[in-house]
Amino acid sequence: MKIMTCPINGPRPVSEFFYWGEMRPMPDPDTCSDDAWADYVFNRNGAPGVKKEWWCHTASNTWFVAVRDTEKDQVLRTYLYGEQP
Amino acid sequence: MNAVTSARPVSDVAHATCLGIADLSARARAGAKGPGTAAWLAGLGLPLPARPNSWLALPEGGLIARLGNTEYLIEGNAALVESVLRAPRAAGVYPVLRQDAAFALCGSRVNELLLQVCNVDFRCLAADPALVLLTSMAGVGVTVLRSGDIANPVFRLWCDGTYGHYLATTLLEIAGELGGGGIAPDLLP
Amino acid sequence: MPWRLLRFATAKQHPEPRMFTAHAELKKSYDVVIIGGGGHGLSAAYYLGRDHGITNVAVLEKGYIGGGNTGRNTTIIRSNYLTPEGVKFYDESVRLWQDLSTEFDLNLFYANRGHFTLAHTDSALRTMRWRAEVNKHYGVDSEVVGPDFVKQAAPMIDLSCGGHAPILGALYHAPGSVARHDAVAWGYGKGADLRGAEIHQQTEVLGIVVKGGKVCGVQTSRGFIETNKVLCAVAGFTPRILEMVDIKTPLYIHPLQAMVSEPIKPWLDPILVSGSLHIYISQSARGELVMGASLDPYEVQSTRSTLDFVEGLSAHMLDMFPFLSHVKVMRQWAGMADMTPDFAPIMGKTPVEGFYLDAGWGTWGFKATPVCGKTMAHTVATDTPHPLIHGFSLDRFRNYALTGEKGAASVGH
Repeated sequence: MKIMTCPINGPRPVSEFFYWGEMRPMPDPDTCSDDAWADYVFNRNGAPGVKKEWWCHTASNTWFVAVRDTEKDQVLRTYLYGEQP
Repeated sequence: MNAVTSARPVSDVAHATCLGIADLSARARAGAKGPGTAAWLAGLGLPLPARPNSWLALPEGGLIARLGNTEYLIEGNAALVESVLRAPRAAGVYPVLRQDAAFALCGSRVNELLLQVCNVDFRCLAADPALVLLTSMAGVGVTVLRSGDIANPVFRLWCDGTYGHYLATTLLEIAGELGGGGIAPDLLP
Repeated sequence: MPWRLLRFATAKQHPEPRMFTAHAELKKSYDVVIIGGGGHGLSAAYYLGRDHGITNVAVLEKGYIGGGNTGRNTTIIRSNYLTPEGVKFYDESVRLWQDLSTEFDLNLFYANRGHFTLAHTDSALRTMRWRAEVNKHYGVDSEVVGPDFVKQAAPMIDLSCGGHAPILGALYHAPGSVARHDAVAWGYGKGADLRGAEIHQQTEVLGIVVKGGKVCGVQTSRGFIETNKVLCAVAGFTPRILEMVDIKTPLYIHPLQAMVSEPIKPWLDPILVSGSLHIYISQSARGELVMGASLDPYEVQSTRSTLDFVEGLSAHMLDMFPFLSHVKVMRQWAGMADMTPDFAPIMGKTPVEGFYLDAGWGTWGFKATPVCGKTMAHTVATDTPHPLIHGFSLDRFRNYALTGEKGAASVGH
């Protein structure tokens, strides 16, 4: 059983969590080009690496950030948005 | 006091000693969340749990639980709950509809049941009785805390009301295998 | 060791010819380099030789042929898709499948079983009706049937599914089939080899040289090769190859897991799929139950497998077939599914001249092996997308012209 650590609820099995993809900066929809917006809407970084991702502890609805190696499936760090770099 | 389970709880003292499940869904309850909630509740004269995911017994009976950073659940005394529900809200306070199914589990074999339905080992609550655990039980998101004394623990359980029937059926089935069953709330220790 | 075996082991001349020639060295240049020695890559090499006379082709495979998703899928072949683009494309594939054993002179164990997509909800049944109408319009044998028909085809099924999710009906697709997946790679590999293509295993692509927006060579772990045309057919590894040519796509990689039971007596003829219970199941010629479920819930670029998967899938299997409770799970594995937002593949030309893409095969690639090879060979040979793949171009995302095929995915992902 894979364990993920929620910043508030502590270590829990990964089945209690929901994954919402990599954190990506949104371009300003009023000023960016159509291509830049389509790139933001659709394109993803599918290559392996250490990524910052949105996760949610569903039992408590706690959204937080996980830094995870997506090739080794190792969670390196979790923190609440805005608390750490 | 029988909002969820369809069969009337058997007032069975033996069950309460071995493994009893009482349905507390009908208790009065209020919920609120948001950055202004702590100050607002304090203004209403309620004591506040200091840590996220902890709870306090209320002097009038019932309890207040802090779920996460800014969400609170108040349960118990009907007059108190009513006053919280009626109080004008302040900025940064959002009401949370609490139509929970709520249960209490007690008895000497309660841990054997809990180990079958949840990944969390609730014996950790012995070391920190003020802790509130939000986890997943039999696939349903639940809030759990322990009241009662250490020798006769009572585990309180809340889940979304729409899962109440399923969770009650699942828990009662296992309780039956362990020699327990449904009990009336007045048999809780 | 018995003497006769030892004699074979030490013989320099192997009595049976190998499926394909092992080449000691890479040539200096090729007309076409295909990255990925799975079904899709080998099939493209085969049709490049057979249909277009292009035989100076190298297929580069990092591991061994058919060792990726070609050998990891649950071997289901069907064409009951949702969009006109998808139905026409997969229907052509089913037609090609039916002749392959003869064409290769190799038994693919292609077995026509019939395929049921079970509906447990009204909304699922509505999608089935929609699919059946689209399918029939394009001449694909597909119809909505009631629970009795399902029970007749699979008598062991619990139509109430443990009471949680009773079966209301199903989309029945008579041409639905299974085939031996390894043999498909071997058959295409052998056919491509006979026509002159070279298959290089244990050869990893390290870089792709692009000058002035055009492909001019490939750097491999065994040296540099010149070429003006590269076809990328590497499924879950696609984003890593695309980084080399600086192309962005919507591809995201989630593992897809599967498992088989111990072999048991034949009792299940058709292929069954349940979107609500996240199950697909068929019984192989060896008697094993081949079972799959939905994608893993988060991104991972490796083929690790999990106990969570076996637990979840087994629980749902028992809802449908309670009598399996004593059957043992024999092994489990995973493949890396390259998913797209609309559940349709990405095929054809790219912004880099001479770089062709066959990707986005997510959880639906095996059945498309023949038609992918055929249409990609056409696309590479003529530098023009084959008419059957117009709906699958990479451009469709930039143009917001998606080919929504999610309703035809095996299970709700």
